[in-house]
Amino acid sequence: MTAALALHGLGKDYGARTAVGAVDLEVRRGEILGLLGPNGAGKTTTISMACGVVTPTRGTVEIGGVSLAKQPREAKRKLGLVPQDLALYDELSATQNLSYFGALYGLRGDRLASRIQWALGIVGLAERAKEPIKQYSGGMKRRLNLAAGLVHEPELVMLDEPTVGVDPQSRNHIFETVRKLRDAGLTVVYTSHYMEEVEALCDRVAVMDGGAIVAVGTVAELIAQYAGKGVELELTGEVDAAIAAIGAHGVVSREGTAVRVVPAGGLAPVIAAIEGAGATIARIESRRATLETAFLALTGRALRDEGGA
Amino acid sequence: MFLAAITKDVWLLLRDRGSLIRLFAVPIIFISVFGSMFKFGPKHGEPQPIAIWFAPGDARGLAIAHQLELSEGFVARPATSADAAREEVKHDAKAALVIPPTGPVELVLDLEAPIQNRAPLQGALTGLVVHAVDPTMVPPVIVRAPLGVAKPSDDISGFQITVPANSVLFGFFIVITVALSFASERRTGTWRRVLSAPVPRWQVLLATLVPYYLVGLLQLTFLFGIGFLAFGMHVAGTWAGLVVLSMAVVLCAVALGLLFASLGGTEKQIGGVGSMTLLVMALLGGCMFPRIAMPHLMQQIGNFVPHSWAIDGYYAAIVQRGTTLVDLAPQIAALLGFAVAFGGLGRWRFRFEK
Repeated sequence: MTAALALHGLGKDYGARTAVGAVDLEVRRGEILGLLGPNGAGKTTTISMACGVVTPTRGTVEIGGVSLAKQPREAKRKLGLVPQDLALYDELSATQNLSYFGALYGLRGDRLASRIQWALGIVGLAERAKEPIKQYSGGMKRRLNLAAGLVHEPELVMLDEPTVGVDPQSRNHIFETVRKLRDAGLTVVYTSHYMEEVEALCDRVAVMDGGAIVAVGTVAELIAQYAGKGVELELTGEVDAAIAAIGAHGVVSREGTAVRVVPAGGLAPVIAAIEGAGATIARIESRRATLETAFLALTGRALRDEGGA
Repeated sequence: MFLAAITKDVWLLLRDRGSLIRLFAVPIIFISVFGSMFKFGPKHGEPQPIAIWFAPGDARGLAIAHQLELSEGFVARPATSADAAREEVKHDAKAALVIPPTGPVELVLDLEAPIQNRAPLQGALTGLVVHAVDPTMVPPVIVRAPLGVAKPSDDISGFQITVPANSVLFGFFIVITVALSFASERRTGTWRRVLSAPVPRWQVLLATLVPYYLVGLLQLTFLFGIGFLAFGMHVAGTWAGLVVLSMAVVLCAVALGLLFASLGGTEKQIGGVGSMTLLVMALLGGCMFPRIAMPHLMQQIGNFVPHSWAIDGYYAAIVQRGTTLVDLAPQIAALLGFAVAFGGLGRWRFRFEK
């Protein structure tokens, strides 16, 4: 079966700067793939290239087996984009917004009207369809933003940070909608900067860093492969020197007095480095392995503090 | 795609009070005020008062006073003394003629007045006095209209001048609306969403411009319509020329809007810098002040803005009898040339991806 989305050697340069090196990624039909990465990792550029918004410098994009470069109309018809911005016309009603975006995909007449009803229904906005959306709450606008990416019945939908700035109720509504869409056979690519969202929603996760995919797998696979050996230490004495020394033997992050380490090759070299730097281990605990630990091990950076890319 | 874009932009325009006021309401206020203030044409304008003194019963004085009354441009204002006549020039008389029983007639003028005002007055009054003194003299000059220039309509109202001038001035403000729409689409992210749709990019660009072209035509139709219906304006020249010229004006304005949009900038910058640029162009083009009254250099500079060609075309179409569509070819061609230049430069600079 062809992949819902296949990126081969996809890259983008802006002058001398490489934003995305060469991304290879296949998204399976009917799955929710989470795309995680720190700020500047190239997530939004990758999604923009995959949607035809940004022209790649190299590589190819296939959507449902159709080449985006060779058959852009065919390929784009299969795709729905939900941008990070609230890409809507504030002065217009929900119906008018969806009517315009649906028409861009060739929907007309009764077909357009029924798709608008469906999209508004699935995001729970049918009751307020005629109001100018400037009267909506932030969460309602987020839901309509999602509906605008779904109105033309795409096979694949790209959600770029769809829950930024929404209230818990709307966030839950968006989660439910995404799950329903997956259950209905839609493929979803989901970028978020909330680790727990990705853990809860996604069948697989691709981690991006430095303009490249550094790991792909299920949450369990990523944790097992990259987050199994994490420890949390409390140090005394020459703490700064010790942290600098540990850096050669694993990924280190500091939170107050606690130092988190994901060793690259066992715990013994880490302990030797601490003692060699003149510090003492006051406490050592094995940390529960999470996707966040795996992410830290892969990128050397925490996700939440970095903001979305 | 185009129908959807037009529908969407009409919805947006109807909810955008700022644009509605800028495009439709403010021009009407300007037209009303300036149209009521000015009068143009051979049948309009007040005769200029000329103070005159001569001794009672003086034949030469009576002849000159009679000649002043016959002229359409002057009206005699008898003074009680020579000095009283001279004094009148300090007030509202344009000049004074002091006619002694013998010797040369004294013409009193404000010698501080600009030469372009003083010289015609001096020439006209000198000629009038010569003709009054010796009516048998054959005039050495015959007055005719220039070759190829249609005769102006006899009943030009101020609105016949101010409606086109303000229509051009505010018609070009669609430039700001066009540039702002691109900036707004980029800021809100709708531009990304549209680019992800299965529509070729040239269609996306065209579909953004076409609604504003139609809005521009609607605006000119509205302003000229008000001119005809409410202000008694009429077309002395060519209706076809008026329509084709308006289409060229709006095309030029929308192309300039694309050029402004391609220069980037925030909505605030577009609003501020764009408005100032358009006002300067309008000033040079004669929308606020007739170019004929400008210094020669300014008139020459005015040829480099489309407004001047638009206004020249409108005056010919509306004011000059006998003007045909063919007579407007230079103005229409110039406007289309500006449109191609603006549009070409704008498309060359325009970046879909930012």
